[in-house]
Amino acid sequence: MEKFKNSAFVKKVGFNRIVLAGVLILMYVIFSVAIKGFLGSSHLMGTLNYVYFLGFLSLGVTFVIATGGIDFSIGPVMFCCALISGYCFGTYHVPMAVAVILCILVGLLFGMFNGYLVAYWDVPPFIVSMASMNIAKGAASIFTKTQSISWPRAEEAGGWFRSIVKVGDFPMGLILFLVGAAICAVILNNTRIGRYILCLGSNKEAVRLSGVNVRKWLMLAYVICGILVGIAALFFVATYTTVQPNYGDQYNNEAIAGCVMGGTSMAGGLASIGGTVIGVFIIALLQEGILALGLAKDVQLIITGVIVIVAVYADVLARRRRK
Amino acid sequence: MEKTKKKSVLSLFSNQKYIVILVVILLSAIFMIASADFRKYTTFVTLLDMSYYYVLMGIGVAFPLITGGVDLSIGTGMVCYALVGGYLVRNAGVPVIVGILVALLFGIGIGALNGVLVAVMDLPAFLATLCTCMITRGLGSLLTFKSTVPWPTDKQPGGWFHSIFKITTGNNTKIPLGFLWVIILMVIMAFVLKHTKFGRYVIAIGSNKEATILSGINVKFFHIMAYVVCGLFAGLAAIPYASAIPTIQPGTGAGVELDAIGGAIVGGVSATGGSGSIEGTFFGVYVICLLKVGLPFIGLQANWQQVITGAILIGAVMIDIVKKRRAIATGQAAA
Amino acid sequence: MGEEILRMEEIDKSFPGVHALDHVHFNLNRGEVHALMGENGAGKSTLMKVLTGIYSKDSGKIIYEGKEAEFHNTREAQEAGIVIVHQELNMVGDLTVAQNIFIGREFMSGIKINDRKMVEESKKLFDRLHIEINPTEKMSNLTVGKQQMCEIAKAISHECKVIIFDEPSAALTEKEIDDLFTIIRDLREQNMGIIYISHRMDEIKVITDRVTVMRDGTYVGTLITKDCTKDDIVKMMVGRVIYEQPKEKSLVPDDAPVVLKVDHLNAGKMVQDVSFELHKGEILGFSGLMGAGRTETARAVFGADPKQSGDIYINGKKVEINSPEDAVHHGIGYLSEDRKRYGVVVQKSITENSTLACLDDYISGIFINKAKEKEAAETYIKELDTKTPSADQLVVNLSGGNQQKIVIAKWLVKNCDILIFDEPTRGIDVGAKNEIYKLMNRLASEGKSIIMISSEMQEILRMSDRIVIMCEGKKTGELKIEEATQEKIMDKATRDIK
Repeated sequence: MEKFKNSAFVKKVGFNRIVLAGVLILMYVIFSVAIKGFLGSSHLMGTLNYVYFLGFLSLGVTFVIATGGIDFSIGPVMFCCALISGYCFGTYHVPMAVAVILCILVGLLFGMFNGYLVAYWDVPPFIVSMASMNIAKGAASIFTKTQSISWPRAEEAGGWFRSIVKVGDFPMGLILFLVGAAICAVILNNTRIGRYILCLGSNKEAVRLSGVNVRKWLMLAYVICGILVGIAALFFVATYTTVQPNYGDQYNNEAIAGCVMGGTSMAGGLASIGGTVIGVFIIALLQEGILALGLAKDVQLIITGVIVIVAVYADVLARRRRK
Repeated sequence: MEKTKKKSVLSLFSNQKYIVILVVILLSAIFMIASADFRKYTTFVTLLDMSYYYVLMGIGVAFPLITGGVDLSIGTGMVCYALVGGYLVRNAGVPVIVGILVALLFGIGIGALNGVLVAVMDLPAFLATLCTCMITRGLGSLLTFKSTVPWPTDKQPGGWFHSIFKITTGNNTKIPLGFLWVIILMVIMAFVLKHTKFGRYVIAIGSNKEATILSGINVKFFHIMAYVVCGLFAGLAAIPYASAIPTIQPGTGAGVELDAIGGAIVGGVSATGGSGSIEGTFFGVYVICLLKVGLPFIGLQANWQQVITGAILIGAVMIDIVKKRRAIATGQAAA
Repeated sequence: MGEEILRMEEIDKSFPGVHALDHVHFNLNRGEVHALMGENGAGKSTLMKVLTGIYSKDSGKIIYEGKEAEFHNTREAQEAGIVIVHQELNMVGDLTVAQNIFIGREFMSGIKINDRKMVEESKKLFDRLHIEINPTEKMSNLTVGKQQMCEIAKAISHECKVIIFDEPSAALTEKEIDDLFTIIRDLREQNMGIIYISHRMDEIKVITDRVTVMRDGTYVGTLITKDCTKDDIVKMMVGRVIYEQPKEKSLVPDDAPVVLKVDHLNAGKMVQDVSFELHKGEILGFSGLMGAGRTETARAVFGADPKQSGDIYINGKKVEINSPEDAVHHGIGYLSEDRKRYGVVVQKSITENSTLACLDDYISGIFINKAKEKEAAETYIKELDTKTPSADQLVVNLSGGNQQKIVIAKWLVKNCDILIFDEPTRGIDVGAKNEIYKLMNRLASEGKSIIMISSEMQEILRMSDRIVIMCEGKKTGELKIEEATQEKIMDKATRDIK
């Protein structure tokens, strides 16, 4: 076992990620055996649909958790983006292209708001999250006058935006998600932003004493998250069409779960985009499998909750060992 | 020559818990002036009716907050406990009193779980309780087989429990008895926080955990107990919730904790722990409830309340932070 | 003075790489105030930690009240009657004074804590000790000095026979020190044995009966206070054979330009009206005892801590430094005392740490040029002779000396002209120390200017061209290396300016 752990291949890909990938494959096998017809494409489609928006949410929150912070306003903010821009499209008849940009812009604004309070005012991230969550829900409700908003179907005017998910039968969404994840990985590992985010998440004071403007980069992490949440919103409506106000909480937990499962440490400084991607697939597959088994969504919630506890505790133990 | 702070009338008012009382009075005044309907007695009763479970949750969550942690599972928890208790009453025919007891015990159990996760396993409080939030949401629905659960109405057998909160007199006026109970509980818990070892050590843990450990106190025990108390009150909150909401839906409850936590912080509980009062929390929660109920009377949708609550929460925390920064800048001992 | 209550014989204690206590003797009588003196690192704190059970001794005997004793933790020592008042405060800021004093052993009436009784008892305690503090005041509202008085009162409120004060007067005002001495005299009347660790000569003279001096982990000697002079004590504290030759003469020309001028710097109690100049190619040693304010001064100059007033000039031009970002921009680098906490990001690689101060120089387009980075890191690994298999190694896996080299590399990669080294060789073995000395000399000869804060006399005398001495937040002296001696430095480091 030790030899396997120390081999070059394992070191490069990461032991945790291999274990995760193994878990994913195992889950798929179990579900395929236990459920008739699970191998069929409809379930695959169902899983992928869930992956797209959840994936971008998870990617976004990975940046925030990498700084040692947290953001659980992402679910409601995602809905707020979709609601506001969808309302503009439906009621003010702005062109779809503008609506798309607006959607991402709303996410960006929330990211700036959160980031500013955390970085420049030292407000504890969980308080900022809670307040943001409320504000997002409230603002969306007020803007759309508490109506739910439906984005256009593929054949309707403006429906072209759905091609981000599917072009014919081709799962465009998967490609875009993987591309997005790759871009995030590059940002995190190969750019200044990523370097500063990871270092300040690990030891903020040492980075500050090295002459880096820590506040600026900390805020940017939240801004990146906000942008990705806006993108997640687009994928959500492209898949599920309708968004309601006052909704979205559960996706917070699942997005964070995917991220933490993937090896990103709650203490900050350590993040894995690859791990997040696999984590998201696991959650989406879990969701799909449980539904197919005829069990309530609730089972999936409970299982996800337990998984996160285990994952975070494993991180706590690993951290103690590292000291 | 060093000076210690002089007590003056002004500094008394800078104490958040008195500001909150003023805010409650102010808000009530504004709403009453602006809307005739608000002045009605029935509005008053409605306001109180819906406030009980918020207040109870607020009182409970103050304890984890003061230790420097938080409990995000109280909202879904409360719904879960109400569902389970109600299911047993409705479908298993147990007497209402047992249903209530089950809710309380369940709350204590989840509270203990939270306590172990945070105090023993060292998980970040918001994450651990976020997970138990998911778990209780799932459990609530699972254990009741996804049915919506109505507790007995006040006309049905077992409906006596409604009269804990409201008595309808002969000429049909409703007396909000529940208000009396929450005040009593508030007084009791304020006493617990200020004058018992438990309360004292909860504050000490939030203020300086290391020093408290060094004083030989069993910190883990008291830290866990803070979460157990919170769970107990979430269970208690389930009762007025069951009374106020005719049919309880599984999967609801998320978001309620924000109002409770927001109320506590507005009422003076520090977001980073170590200070706060139960009385302040009591009034802080009423600020939130007043906004919820009152805003529609002046023409603003209830959703404005969410935005305003969020803004108030941030405002309250920022004031606290500005105060701390100023103290450090002037080189006071507190650094 | 009564009979002996405590005797420590041949106490020996080692940590990896450090022989902290080398057959140390110490004895204490009832009704005596016995001072324990020595430079930073002499072993005073370690000896007391062995006594109170925080550390376990490797060999030797502790005889307490006539019987051999060994304490495994502070609780045991406390129950036996040995209490220590630490330098660092352990108070719960949000509770009141009375609540803090009796924390963990509150008076109860049923389930209610009897706060009134606690206040009464605290008042009695304070009256007995002539302390004027309101027991109902919230702890965090008190000044550090008053908090320390509470710490002392808390310790005394336990039934104790031996009480140890570790640098008690550091945060106290003159009046509070007088009160402290009254308390100590009182305790002496009550036949308690008191150990008083301090570096303040004047106080030792006033309040103590005997003085024991330690040096480099060894016991030097014990004197009767009224029979000895300050010079006697100083000689015992520093009278060592210097194995390294001190620098004989500075090679820095007299007309070397002033690269850094600090004028009337004020940053809280630890930096009061400090002014000094740094010349090009010079190593300016900052000497003084712990708590003198040297690190605080450096941090204020570097922008790491806010300052109240003061001007900084670089190469003759006035500059605004309000954050480390500003300082680094102006070419100043700072290696903090606690390198693990503030110097390196231990969970990241050598390469990532090396370019942290100037990452902008390694960007091509929007990407980090990892090859260029690694090259830079490897250049300095070679130049500083850092022991590591590769530049990708995580810093946490390096030894202390090598971690320090990474911090140095970071500032060299940035090419800073002014370097502030805060305790550069603390916790580093002799071999690595010499390498760092060689490096510093080389940097100075290449035209860089260095401020070296150090608590090691040998180091100061070996490396500095000039020496600035600080004491309790003020600059008390400045010496050229040609005229500096250990005694002169220690003299200025321990004198109170009234």
